[in-house]
Amino acid sequence: MRRETVRALAPVLAALAVFLAAWQVAVLVGGLQPSILPSPRHVAERFVEAFAEGTIQPHLGTTLSEIAWGFGIGAALALVVGYVMARSPLAEQLVSPYIVAAQAVPILALAPLLTIWFGPGLVSKVVICALIVFFPIAVATMVGIRSVDVRLLELGRSLRATRRQVLWTIEIPAALPSIFGGVRVGVTLSVIGAIVGEWSGASRGLGVLINVARGALFDIPLMFATLLTIALVGIGLYLTVVIVERRLVGAR
Amino acid sequence: MSDRSGAIELSGVTLDFPVRGGGRHEALGGVDLAIPGGGVVALIGPNGCGKSTLLRVIAGLLAPRSGRVTLDGTPVRGPDPRVGLVFQEPRLLPWRTAAANISYPLELAGWPRDRCRARLAELLELTRLDAAAAAARPSELSGGQRQRTALARALALQPEVLLLDEPFSALDALTRERFDLELLALWERAATTIVLVTHSIAEAILVADRVVVMTPRPGRIAADIPVDLPRPRSLVVMDEAVASRTARQIRSHLGDPDANTEGEAATPSRLEAVS
Repeated sequence: MRRETVRALAPVLAALAVFLAAWQVAVLVGGLQPSILPSPRHVAERFVEAFAEGTIQPHLGTTLSEIAWGFGIGAALALVVGYVMARSPLAEQLVSPYIVAAQAVPILALAPLLTIWFGPGLVSKVVICALIVFFPIAVATMVGIRSVDVRLLELGRSLRATRRQVLWTIEIPAALPSIFGGVRVGVTLSVIGAIVGEWSGASRGLGVLINVARGALFDIPLMFATLLTIALVGIGLYLTVVIVERRLVGAR
Repeated sequence: MSDRSGAIELSGVTLDFPVRGGGRHEALGGVDLAIPGGGVVALIGPNGCGKSTLLRVIAGLLAPRSGRVTLDGTPVRGPDPRVGLVFQEPRLLPWRTAAANISYPLELAGWPRDRCRARLAELLELTRLDAAAAAARPSELSGGQRQRTALARALALQPEVLLLDEPFSALDALTRERFDLELLALWERAATTIVLVTHSIAEAILVADRVVVMTPRPGRIAADIPVDLPRPRSLVVMDEAVASRTARQIRSHLGDPDANTEGEAATPSRLEAVS
């Protein structure tokens, strides 16, 4: 590893060590049973074991595909709707009340209904996921497109750029930092969407595994191992977005 | 000179904008102006006299309310590839390198890659930008380099007319004089008509064949003053008597009370911006 990488990672690792130590201390001092709060080591062992036995992988795969579809569809729709709302005040007036209302209703309350409508399979999770991802990305896109410097748009006009050229060479690059702000939020929410969707009826997925571990199996360490998996998925997705953002937005 | 392309003609051009709270602001009140192809004209006047508006009308970015604007005899109906525009600020795309900003108009016009590259090399040479500057982003360039980039971009499509809206106003006085002279050198090579909006009498006299003085409310042409100085021009070889007489003439139309004071030395190097 390069020295800069080490230097950048050092505080992160130190913070992680502090967190794990505090956890361990809480378990020891509190004298807690593993069925209430297992120690970090216990969780780590169960995590490795569960992966070795292949307990988690099928559930992980299901959840990841729900996230991929839900995020992809939700984000794509959000980009289009956000752009239209930015450029048409009428569209914003017509559409935004519904978008805000849909966002204000807790997804937890909406999920069972959507599961009844779309069945316990993949589709209901994708819908829930897309719904929860939509709002932050649509709003960020709208704000980003609206704040594009009008002087740059005038430049485009003076160079006879077509609408499509203006979109790709001015509007999107200018709005990109703002859009990525929404994508960072959206991708994190997409994990929540998938888990919530699974809770309201599914046969497979990390959300299902949490329920099974807590209920039928009463394997609290497995539950924690699943939570850890979910957290790692979230971190992984977030980091992916950050890396793509660095590539696309770059130095300005 | 009249047989060269890039001739601009305006006749009876008026333009007004709606004002907040009702009513309209008369930005241009009947402007007649003829600029021969290859000529250099400076538009000068106080803030709000409509000189930038007039420039935008010539550029086809604003449509006049009445009157005619023609370029080489054909009416101007919108932005035209024969016209290059340099704005008051460099107005570069911050996510592109200087080189990519310069070739942006070529890209929009659908030029093939190799032709773009060849033209880019010419433009860099013409505006004296080195390879390091070309590869840098606008935020890494100096103010002068940014304005060079903007100039190169405006020249990219080999326009017949170059419109400049106070292009060097953000630069310091010395850099600005150098840019004015470079603009002249460039004009001799690129052979375009130049319309330069400026606040500076010195700049106008140094650069232009004619100085058009505008007055506000509504924007009108108050005077059209020839600059009888030989070319090529420089700051050293400058007939100071002619320059200062011309400057006094311009001042008198700008409503400057000191304009008729005898003995006022109005050499370009001493002149400051009006307004």
